[in-house]
Amino acid sequence: MTMMTAEQYEESLRRLNLVVYMFGKRIGNVVDDPIIRPSMNAVAKTYELAYRPEHEDIMTATSHITGNRINRFTHIHQSIEDLVKKSKMGRLLGRETGCCFQRCVGMDALNALSIVTFDIDAKHGTKYYKRFVKYLEYVQENDFTVDGAMTDPKGDRSLPPHKQPDPDQFMHVVEERKDGIIVRGAKAHQTGAVNSHEIIIMPTLAMRQEDKDYAISFALPSDAEGITYIMGRQSCDTRKLEGGTMDQGNLLFGGHEALVVFDNVFVPWDRVFMFKEYEFSRQLVEQFAAYHRQSYACKVGVGDVIIGAAQTAAEYNGVEKASHIRDKIVEMNHLNETLYCGCIACASEGHKEPSGTYCVNILLANVHKHNVTRFPFEISRIAQDIAGGLMVTLPSEKDLQSPETAKWLKKYFEAHHDIPTENRMHILRLIENLTLGTAATNYLTESMHGAGSPQAQRIMISRRINMQEKQRAAKKLCGIEE
Amino acid sequence: MGEGMRVGLKYCGGCNPEYDRVALVRHIEESLQGKIAFVSPESEGVGLILAVEGCRTACADLSAFEGMEIRVITNIEAGYRFIQEIRAQVE
Repeated sequence: MTMMTAEQYEESLRRLNLVVYMFGKRIGNVVDDPIIRPSMNAVAKTYELAYRPEHEDIMTATSHITGNRINRFTHIHQSIEDLVKKSKMGRLLGRETGCCFQRCVGMDALNALSIVTFDIDAKHGTKYYKRFVKYLEYVQENDFTVDGAMTDPKGDRSLPPHKQPDPDQFMHVVEERKDGIIVRGAKAHQTGAVNSHEIIIMPTLAMRQEDKDYAISFALPSDAEGITYIMGRQSCDTRKLEGGTMDQGNLLFGGHEALVVFDNVFVPWDRVFMFKEYEFSRQLVEQFAAYHRQSYACKVGVGDVIIGAAQTAAEYNGVEKASHIRDKIVEMNHLNETLYCGCIACASEGHKEPSGTYCVNILLANVHKHNVTRFPFEISRIAQDIAGGLMVTLPSEKDLQSPETAKWLKKYFEAHHDIPTENRMHILRLIENLTLGTAATNYLTESMHGAGSPQAQRIMISRRINMQEKQRAAKKLCGIEE
Repeated sequence: MGEGMRVGLKYCGGCNPEYDRVALVRHIEESLQGKIAFVSPESEGVGLILAVEGCRTACADLSAFEGMEIRVITNIEAGYRFIQEIRAQVE
């Protein structure tokens, strides 16, 4: 098959037998649920754009295994150009959807495993790489969406996994059998989990010998027996149940996150890619995290949307020529393009691993992501500044439709005379959605914590900086001889 | 009326285009109706590849077209020049 269309993707999700709970109830029809549907639409966009000639160059790649044309989300990066195009793909999709399109985590997990399985085999003589490549070919040929699951609930953060009062706070092996393993645990904050065909599990920490039962990585169908999904809430999520065309802000797209529980789930050996080789858990975590921190190129695309919305709001208010407004728009663009600089830099400075996979520059990927933990908040602040307080006091669209109140809203919320009041309300709702509604989940809080919280990047920056070289340069210039 | 020269159309990925590439291609097609026909770049009988790049970075992968005649457009003005060039060739 190789590349699915968006329609085929939707139908493929209908064939899954997921166990999903939301608001205390089991969801029967996940695909059409009004709260979940916008997130499915966003993932579907990754399939749709791959078939458009004007986007095919960054949305698709040639499989290094089969030579077939594949969706870039299932591709293992074979060059610097691949890494750069991955960043550009993120920006494109962020701009087209205005939200988290969820498919990047799986791509990042596949790429990290392509490196680490090779390295484990080189040291231990195991067969993980061959097993992984067979799995990868399966993913590519079926054009699957994969959830890359790393974050354990973690329990008491002061304790390592093996000392947790509840051993299930980190995913671990509970039984070894001839045909596979039984695992128990959960993965939190799983983006796009119920829009995925497969789920790849990775350890969330660098494990030590005492924690070797937790140093596991494997892949399963997303509807494997024993897996339960509990959907996360988002700010303003129930607006999607109101049936309107305005108050949601982003009418088409959104993201979702879920707690994914593995209750004594069987994993066959041919789906296991790391089993207690704990000394490789750090490498897997760091390389996955580096790829995933690069993936925050998506926020540049969402930033494009918020800047466009802010400019539009300014024009609707008739203030777009005011010098402070123009300067604020410049500032937003400066911050947004600085983020773009980061995701392009870490890609451009990538390198080839022994497996043949190209990996991003880990230092620059962490710098990029560290900027992402800050700049969207400032961009959002400026957007709210330009939008004005009406953004959070605007009456419901039902009041706009009501015969008793419509006339007052149209009269008193008209700004620029040539602009319909409804348009002003639409753009304010979009800014609201992005800065404190459902999309703010991804644009702000996920920017803060996704792919690791800010301190994680600071630790990596500290580890990766070559301080000795900087000191050598300084001492030489000022004449210190040692 | 014949379809004219078969021109393989290759877009960049459009991550942040400086102009509407699809609209420009439509304009080129209308302006050169009967003189060229845009086809997939892998099609048979392609006489020329037109790379429609959204900006001067021009990052579309053209490696598959090595040895073929390639024209690169990175802005609207280059599109207009391409129209004039083809018209001059045909006349």
